[in-house]
Amino acid sequence: MLKKLEDLKNIVANEPVKKLVLAPAHDQDSLGAVIKAASDGVITPVLIGDTEGIKQIAHENGYDITGLSIIHEPGIEASVELAVKMVSRREAEILMKGKVGTSTLLKCVLNKEWGLRTGKLLSHFALFEVETYHKLIAVTDVAMNIAPNLQEKIAIINNSISCMHKLGITNPKVAVLGAVEMVNESMEATLDAALLSKMNQRDQIKGCIIDGPLAFDNAVSIESAKHKGIKSEVAGDTDLLLMPDIEVGNVLYKSLVFFAKAKVASVILGAAAPIVLTSRSDSEQAKYDSILLASAASKK
Amino acid sequence: MITRLNHLADYIRSSGRRYRIAIAWAQDPNSIGAVLRAANEGFLEPVMLGRKQEIIKVCENLEIDYKGLNITESAGDYEACRRAVEMARSGETDIVMKGLVSTDRFLKAVMDKESGLMEPGAILSYVCALDIPAYRKLLFITDPAVIPFPDLEQKIAMIRYAIDMAGRFGIKRPRIALIGATEKVSRHFESSLDYAAICKMAERGQLPDCIIDGPVDIFLACDPESPGIKGVKTVLEGDADILLFPSIESCNPFYKGLMLFAGAELAGLIRGTFKPVVLMSRNESLLSKYYCMALACMMAETGNNQPQS
Repeated sequence: MLKKLEDLKNIVANEPVKKLVLAPAHDQDSLGAVIKAASDGVITPVLIGDTEGIKQIAHENGYDITGLSIIHEPGIEASVELAVKMVSRREAEILMKGKVGTSTLLKCVLNKEWGLRTGKLLSHFALFEVETYHKLIAVTDVAMNIAPNLQEKIAIINNSISCMHKLGITNPKVAVLGAVEMVNESMEATLDAALLSKMNQRDQIKGCIIDGPLAFDNAVSIESAKHKGIKSEVAGDTDLLLMPDIEVGNVLYKSLVFFAKAKVASVILGAAAPIVLTSRSDSEQAKYDSILLASAASKK
Repeated sequence: MITRLNHLADYIRSSGRRYRIAIAWAQDPNSIGAVLRAANEGFLEPVMLGRKQEIIKVCENLEIDYKGLNITESAGDYEACRRAVEMARSGETDIVMKGLVSTDRFLKAVMDKESGLMEPGAILSYVCALDIPAYRKLLFITDPAVIPFPDLEQKIAMIRYAIDMAGRFGIKRPRIALIGATEKVSRHFESSLDYAAICKMAERGQLPDCIIDGPVDIFLACDPESPGIKGVKTVLEGDADILLFPSIESCNPFYKGLMLFAGAELAGLIRGTFKPVVLMSRNESLLSKYYCMALACMMAETGNNQPQS
């Protein structure tokens, strides 16, 4: 059972070291985490960007970049295109966003000719280490899909499940979150939750145990579930929380980080390779852990 | 537990009670025989509301003894319906039954907000107990007659009615199959979406105690070998007591096919009213009509109050 994000290192250690391509790499916010991950043997980096800029950032921050693979491409979009093409050609296994807007990066990822499309929906997968929970808990989708419909929720679950299988969580327990654990016709999330549960029972969604609707408390606390008299394999032992929409997801994500001091790693799933897409506001540690998660998730 | 409709009739006959039934527009050759059989057996006391001369003529044609029959002259079919409903409301009679009047006009009187028989806020539906020789027990079905395409709320009401009726037959924790063409959930089958919600509601204790699953087809519902053959895990174990159908168009042909080809008999009743209301199809056998009356008596005996949501 994974209890700490650091435990992901055990998965990575048993695999060939994965190549991560960072673009544009002259990025104060991400370079440090990449270099630390490289020195820990989590990944082998390829840095695409303005060589001088990269060297300057390294110098100013005391990063040792000797022997690292650096490709000079000062153009922002050009560097991303090059990075995406490398991953597309399987010359690298992980894509990481550097000093570029998310929309530009996604535009390249979704390029029909040389992008990383697989036909699957792209979704955001966040893995939390919360002191008050007995294991790592994943949350999706808090950043990518705004108001997923039923089909999109199925795709988001499937993306997450296949990632969790790679992390060694063989039959993850999925809680479909609602405001209440009862089915209520005027709360659409609860109807979708019931549907997802039934589809899981009928083997239409495999490799996991789904229950929902569950309110947040009964999803993560067995006492709370017992108190409400809920009989569920998932309640109190959730591995994955499916959010009804981005607003709930994003607020939960941020409350875990800011109030519960949770550690988090996150990655974009559904493309040909995991994509590390951290934001400037993420801590250095979160960026490092996201690289670690992407490395574990790119296990063959 | 009552597992056959003849047991139901035995049970009512042996209760020693006589139930008063008002028949609206009673000069109905399709139902008069069954009414008088029940009357002769002593458990039914009919009040015939209609055209006296026509009622007598129908009895003569059918060679039925009408002497001693309580016949009350009514001016028209709707007036007969209103009067029958009023009698049940005031407690003069226990049961209301439709005679030779159209279903629409009859139900209009039953459903009248001020003078009708509806429970406040109740959904009008129909539950039927089927006695199929090839099935090991009674099979309750809903709704073959009233709600064309039930939505989620109506389906839940139908389930509550069916659970309640099965309970009166002594079935404490009925197995309920939510019927579809396949066991898969699909957005192309809207009913399957409702079924998923209903199953979860049962799991969360939002329904009365029951064992419920769906969508399932009739085989998974009623054939104990089918779940194994199909590889579908279901709590029903091919032993359903109640089948909920997605529409009248599926439920109605199901029971009519069984009656025509498989020798099934039925006992059915309107639900949602606070007094039993008997509404039968002309095609039903004399025996089924007689069972409908026995069922109405049983519901009257145990109180026709609907289960609260």
